Amino acid sequence: MTDWKIASRVREEDYINLNPLQTGGASTADARKAVISHADGYSICDWCAGELCSIEKPRIRGFLDEAAKFLGMDNAMITNGCREAKYAILHAITKPGEAVVLDDNRHYSSHVACERMGLRIYEAAATSEPDYEILPQAFQNAIETVKARTGNVPNAALLTHVDGSYGNVTDARAIAGICSDAGVPLILNAAYSAGRMPLDNRKIGADFIACSCHKSWSAAGGNIGLLATDDKWSEKIFKKSERYKSKPLEILGCSARGPQAVALMASFDHVKERVKNWDEEVKKARWLMDEFRQTGIEQVGQKPTHHDLNFVKSDILYEISKRHKKKNFFLYHELKKRGIIGVRPGLTKNFKLSTYGKSREQIRHVAESFKQIIGEFSG
Amino acid sequence: MGDATKALFEAMFALEDIRQVLRESAPKHELDQNQRQMVRDAVLKVEKNLALLKRL
Repeated sequence: MTDWKIASRVREEDYINLNPLQTGGASTADARKAVISHADGYSICDWCAGELCSIEKPRIRGFLDEAAKFLGMDNAMITNGCREAKYAILHAITKPGEAVVLDDNRHYSSHVACERMGLRIYEAAATSEPDYEILPQAFQNAIETVKARTGNVPNAALLTHVDGSYGNVTDARAIAGICSDAGVPLILNAAYSAGRMPLDNRKIGADFIACSCHKSWSAAGGNIGLLATDDKWSEKIFKKSERYKSKPLEILGCSARGPQAVALMASFDHVKERVKNWDEEVKKARWLMDEFRQTGIEQVGQKPTHHDLNFVKSDILYEISKRHKKKNFFLYHELKKRGIIGVRPGLTKNFKLSTYGKSREQIRHVAESFKQIIGEFSG
Repeated sequence: MGDATKALFEAMFALEDIRQVLRESAPKHELDQNQRQMVRDAVLKVEKNLALLKRL
């Protein structure tokens, strides 16, 4: 008999959760309802004829057609996550030893995917502190570097549409234009964009989009991602096994085959609606950053911010932490007392947070709480 | 779907609706009129379905 006890996880119900990893993936009631009845293993496979993405009951095939359209692409496939989508694409279109361009603000999994493929990585540099932006010129420069060193253009480029450190929104359209002109296929890592903000690839022109649906599409019940592309690439990306004719090679035949798939479908209508409110999400984030500035907390990254995820430098909280009996954990405890979580415990000098999906009232409470904490402990 | 199973899911789904209200009103849980009405409706639904389940 095991002796561990799994406690109920109480985060979203009793607290305002500002954890950037979690705000865009917070489940909808519809997603949780779908999970309840699909909690068993292989729960979406009751009517599977051999291929996950073709299942008609539940209507996975129809959902994928809609999701591809929503992203401005022709076709989409369910993956186990965004990183698996990125690796699947790289595996399909590159060979070990070839060159790939990655931006400086990439997620570690982009680098790891390239490493696993045995690719030679060239970096598109970010601008210096305090903006850390990936400008289109950086991709142009990196492509030129590859040409100069290898005599060929890179075999792929991967752009982090919105990075998870600063929440900087890149000019994906301009970068896609540069890649297209150079004949370099572009993978758009949309983990922090698709599902949160409008993303129409017909206006961008990337070759591939990799999405994280447990991060930004309010899917519940497990990891899940989407890989979307256009007709030009579909044959290569969705290629089937020669021996097992219905099994797509790049997802090893099948991917997320449990409650997360129906949860994703159940949240999709909410996602389609919420991206229409993106301007309001940005306004809320900007308002909080303005309030922070008045207390001595400074946002780092693009200014004004264009995203719900923001990185801040907070010397004033760091100074307090040196004197406080709970030291660098004081901020975590003081915020929790006020019903706020999601700032990483132990951080005071700088940290990131996300306001996605929070109401104006909740964000006001966050601003007031920081002011209270600083007022109570400084001086 | 059997009557008991249907009642079970209906009750659980109604509880999820209440959970959603808690999430949207965290941390103070000071509900507005619409939220209060949603909770009341959901509680009624839970009670109705629990009554069916008690007959099992």
